[in-house]
Amino acid sequence: MTYRRHFLTFAAASALFPLSVRGQGTDKAAAFVKSTGDRLVAIVNGPGSAVSKRAAMTQVLDADVDVDGIGKFCLGRFWRQATPQQQQQYLALFHEVLVTNITSKLGEYQGVTFTMGRTKPQDEEAAVSTTVVRPNNPPTAVDWIIANPSTDPKIIDVVAEGTSLRLTQRQDYASYLTHNHDSVDALIAAMKNQVSRSG
Amino acid sequence: MRPSPISRPSFSGTARFFAVLALVGLGLSACATKPPASDPDALADYQQTNDPLEPTNRVFYAINNGLDTVILRPAALAYRFAVPAPVRDGIHNVLSNLGTPVELGNDVLEGKPRRAGDTTMRFLINTTAGVGGIFDVAKKLGYPDHDADFGMTLALWGVPEGPFLYLPVLGPSDPRDATGFGVDILMDPFTWMGPPSSTGLTVFKWTRYGLNAVDSRERVLDALDSIKKTALDPYATFRSLYRQHRHAQIEELRNDHRATVPDWFPQPAAASAK
Repeated sequence: MTYRRHFLTFAAASALFPLSVRGQGTDKAAAFVKSTGDRLVAIVNGPGSAVSKRAAMTQVLDADVDVDGIGKFCLGRFWRQATPQQQQQYLALFHEVLVTNITSKLGEYQGVTFTMGRTKPQDEEAAVSTTVVRPNNPPTAVDWIIANPSTDPKIIDVVAEGTSLRLTQRQDYASYLTHNHDSVDALIAAMKNQVSRSG
Repeated sequence: MRPSPISRPSFSGTARFFAVLALVGLGLSACATKPPASDPDALADYQQTNDPLEPTNRVFYAINNGLDTVILRPAALAYRFAVPAPVRDGIHNVLSNLGTPVELGNDVLEGKPRRAGDTTMRFLINTTAGVGGIFDVAKKLGYPDHDADFGMTLALWGVPEGPFLYLPVLGPSDPRDATGFGVDILMDPFTWMGPPSSTGLTVFKWTRYGLNAVDSRERVLDALDSIKKTALDPYATFRSLYRQHRHAQIEELRNDHRATVPDWFPQPAAASAK
């Protein structure tokens, strides 16, 4: 049975090595999500006016979320078709829309809590599972996708009950563009309208 | 049971419904225009969206949305307002316990013994210790709930989902899930129970359908409201969300490889080497 023992030692060693390397990334990713989540919960449940909460939320988003990357992803094939000026306008609006959408839900999320779950590496990224509990709603499984977990962690997607936020947004925009003659200007106008309506 | 803001009409009601659907469908069978081959990006998008009946689907989406605004959403709001959360949870648990036969049948057809075991234990524990299914005691004892329906079973068997469908009243679907919905009704013992003229049974069945609709709708009140508020094209957003949610459910089912070896039995080598 020497062969078998050797094989097991080898298997154990090779299994342990990538685990310790990977472990760093996933541990960091989990700690990152925990700290971002704690800050978001503190803003949502904390005192302060809507304006100050919006400012605090913008700060967290700018620091921990790759908003530009998500914005580019959401525009899909239209990103390449857009002029540099349109791209710039779109990204600025995308920031605004994201903050507006989140802050408009602040009241709804009052009393929110979350618990950490497992973290698993996913290609170059890490997926951190959490369970989000808010009053009046069934618990939701939310996965946070973190890019560069060990060097410069940034949130690049949020997956709620198996539905990816950025993919859904991309398909929403794609459909809007298809029904508006593929015009990026029409999308920009609609986004402007969205921000001014709820702002 | 998957949460959907949709009721389950009785079988005869459903049959009538599909007859109406077929008639209306014939009249409205407009197709989405396929982009030319000269625009490969647009063509790829079109194929990925896989919604050739989009114009027809959007008509039904508009109708459902109207019905939801005047009937189901107000009913769900009233339900949330009038019934305290613990009672709503109890009602939800009873409804989900009544769905045991269909869930168990699908667990077996999917060839997932551990899921079938979970479903059986949940039914036995929750019906007795959980007082007729009101309290989910089994979850605390390590038998969590999972989703199982014939649409998922078909997916596991390798049946493709097909193009997107938006059905009147039933909402987002596809040929595979629509078939699954019909088969689930046939699998449900309550469909076949008792003499059809029995008033008590009819009342029970319709109460169950009604409560199921209001319960499912109440559970997604906040989510649907915020989607309608933030999406530029709510129809496309629901289409995307429905598909992603179904894929996630099916992936979870596919990846459920829990072994059936009891704890006290020597574990297989593959499991211990991990």
